[in-house]
Amino acid sequence: MSPSPASEAVYNRPNYLTADRGVRSWLTTRDHKRIGVMFLVLTAAALALGGFFALLIRIELLTPGPTIMDAMTYNRMFTLHGVVMIFLFMIPAIPGIFGNFFLPLMIGAQDVAFPRINLATVYLYLLGAAIAVYGMVHGGADTGWTFYTPYSTTTTTKVAPILLGAFVLGLGSILTGINFIVTTHTLRAPGLTWHRLPLFVWAIYATSVIQVLATPVLGMTLLLVTVENVFGFGIFDPARGGDPILFQHLFWFYSHPAVYIMVLPAMAVVSEVIQTFARKNMFGYKAVAYSSLGIAFVGFFVWGHHLFTSGQSAFDSGVFGVLSMFVGLFTAVKVFNWTATLYKGAIQVSAPFVYIVGFLFYLVFGGMTGIALATVSLDVHWQDTYFVVAHFHFVMAAGTVMAFLAALHYWWPKMFGKTYAERPALVGGFLVIFGFAATFVPQFLLGNMGMPRRYYSYPERFWPLNVASTAGASLVAIGFLIVLVNLVVSLAWGRVAGPNPWGSKGYEWNTPSPPDKENFPGTPVFTHGPHEYQEPVPAAAEVTHAA
Amino acid sequence: MAEGSHARAEHGADHGPGRYVVVWVVLVVFTALTYSAWRLNLPEPWHVLVALAIAVVKAGLVALFFMELWDHKGATRLVFASSLVFVALLIGLVVADSATRFPLANPPHEGTLQREPPLGAVPLPLPAMAPGAR
Amino acid sequence: MQPETQAARLAHHFPDLRTQENAARLGMWLFLATEVLLFTALFTAYSVYRYLFVHAFDEASRLMHTGLGAANTLVLLTSSLTAALAVYYARRGQARRSAVLLAATLAFAATFMVIKAFEYGHHFHEGQLPGRFYTYPELQLPGASMFFTLYFLMTGVHGLHVLIGMGVLAFLMVRTLRGGYSTAYSTPVELGVLYWHLVDLIWIFLFPLLYLI
Repeated sequence: MSPSPASEAVYNRPNYLTADRGVRSWLTTRDHKRIGVMFLVLTAAALALGGFFALLIRIELLTPGPTIMDAMTYNRMFTLHGVVMIFLFMIPAIPGIFGNFFLPLMIGAQDVAFPRINLATVYLYLLGAAIAVYGMVHGGADTGWTFYTPYSTTTTTKVAPILLGAFVLGLGSILTGINFIVTTHTLRAPGLTWHRLPLFVWAIYATSVIQVLATPVLGMTLLLVTVENVFGFGIFDPARGGDPILFQHLFWFYSHPAVYIMVLPAMAVVSEVIQTFARKNMFGYKAVAYSSLGIAFVGFFVWGHHLFTSGQSAFDSGVFGVLSMFVGLFTAVKVFNWTATLYKGAIQVSAPFVYIVGFLFYLVFGGMTGIALATVSLDVHWQDTYFVVAHFHFVMAAGTVMAFLAALHYWWPKMFGKTYAERPALVGGFLVIFGFAATFVPQFLLGNMGMPRRYYSYPERFWPLNVASTAGASLVAIGFLIVLVNLVVSLAWGRVAGPNPWGSKGYEWNTPSPPDKENFPGTPVFTHGPHEYQEPVPAAAEVTHAA
Repeated sequence: MAEGSHARAEHGADHGPGRYVVVWVVLVVFTALTYSAWRLNLPEPWHVLVALAIAVVKAGLVALFFMELWDHKGATRLVFASSLVFVALLIGLVVADSATRFPLANPPHEGTLQREPPLGAVPLPLPAMAPGAR
Repeated sequence: MQPETQAARLAHHFPDLRTQENAARLGMWLFLATEVLLFTALFTAYSVYRYLFVHAFDEASRLMHTGLGAANTLVLLTSSLTAALAVYYARRGQARRSAVLLAATLAFAATFMVIKAFEYGHHFHEGQLPGRFYTYPELQLPGASMFFTLYFLMTGVHGLHVLIGMGVLAFLMVRTLRGGYSTAYSTPVELGVLYWHLVDLIWIFLFPLLYLI
């Protein structure tokens, strides 16, 4: 695959990709842009692996009885699907790729605050993934990704490596969070006040706060389960006075904020893409900015809604039920402001924008079903059915993945200096969007009809909807394949992208595509906010060469 | 040196090392206090409250003076304070759960082991604590 | 400090040393916050079981060597003093005093571990062990073994942090003796000692929870 003459022109100018050559220069890099690219490769591989497990699950569920595997293997499949998707993709992807790549560029900094620690997070990801994969290869766990006690503490399947892998990955997540918070506080270029920050930065900052505060609790909890599984200490064992529900409290104290770790970066991307493709700056900038912090904060108060049917007290269920209603408010604020931004905007329909429209659909409906689930009286019927599965796949799989794909297409020209082909991108996009609907709408219906989740076999009356869901899943798979091929092909044969193919007024577009190894020749000075499309203004940042 | 005195001013108006010794003395006194309070065998809620109150004071002194939060305005204080909010949140709501549950939903403890079992249920012996039993 | 050495300290992406120092300090405090939350999971478990097993925990805490626990508390508090003084002198470029104080901190830390080991040995001997290993015949109330599970987990994780802290302090001491720090640059000493203070902070709460109530 020899590069075209056009790409010679791109890659002849030294940029962050070509400045230093050789594998060693990548393995020892401190360049946040290279680290972002490494996360792209790693998390994309994880997405493919998790997707592979998903396809196996859907194929198994094509028939009520055994189809391609036995029950034990099925349990391992959904456990691994969950573990890989959540810890190896959803949590690290958007911050690791786009947070790393664009946070410094957006604030006029030369790098993140702690570049060596940033590199360490790549290695922690690899180590955590390796340990978890070791566990998978040796039989894997069958506890579900939620590792509920007492099963997780008494099973003889390979829970320990998967738990330890998740622990290591969590450490990487914490370090990323610390890095981004400190970067935002200390490396903003002159003139860049908090209220001139891109909304992407606000949301990534809020994500980082959650990562720092919530992940350690998960780390200790997983350690406790490992210790109990291996040594029999009995922290969660009723025979020793332990409380299995305590595990659920500790687990969900992290895992509920974790879903906001997964969705806030997606919302970060949405804010940027909407402003660019509606050629309008955000309606209600401050509301959107502060709603990110609101989600981060209030997201910590609601974990007990995962415990409604566990044996948790009615008092706590009441408290958590009420608090859960509040967390929806901040998302609503965002959706209303995004919509108001689109209104009377000069909309440019293009692959990133199409993905964002898909995201909005899935966020709104997925989010509303979440509020419905947070109502105790309804949750009693829906808990542990496919209704819950469909809900979180709507917001996470469809929602966040949609935003991830939008980000990928939006920033691809900037990161690699190449434009992808628009038609295949749109085809892939539509397949993915409609595929997700075809996959998960039947699951809402199944859940409502009473089909339990994580069940290997089911009564015949659930058969047609399961087939429909699997058909949808194959559409999604084809869509992803098209996206992957389209993007990879563009690296060699795509048209050279200029510095700003979308005409965006976001700060990061004031650099060449791909950016140079050194982000800015001097220190930028910011004079106004990003995405000011209303009147013709000079570039927001003028680089002074005084430094 | 210019940088040195700047560094010192940054860390709170050029105070002497004596400040740390004074704080240490106070900490030792509070430790003696909490030990004495223990020897007094105060009744149930008080011995917990006294011990925790003293611990909070000691922790505050360490954080403010040894860890210099007293001198550093801004983000670091906010970081420490926020973490405490979440400590309170997690412990508070989880203990509230145990405290307000239907009692038999808690692990068997003295409050429930004395109760009459439901009609028809067979009373279970206390779990065996033999070594090696799992 | 020579301008060249000063420039060598300044990373290319920071505008000046002061911002770099503030960033390092903020980063360290964020890390300390994660450590606080890490221990909070254990404190939560403790709180739940302390609430449920009032009598058993009360009896079990009487089996602890409160005198040794108090001694360890004093040991750690004093180590915090020497550590804080080490930073004080490091900032003033007095490397030898700083190194001596760091050595003293290490000595106190080692003392802490020795006392702890002695306590552990006693508990092993008596069969006061976690979970299924608990065989102490004189306290068989429900929740008794849970006390010792929590005791070993909480002091064990804390002890691990003491060991890590000792490693950090030793590294700082060696570097101080080699002239690595000066009036313009003593941030690593400050950060390492912050970690040590956190270790002390955790113990300030462990002591009453495990020994006194």
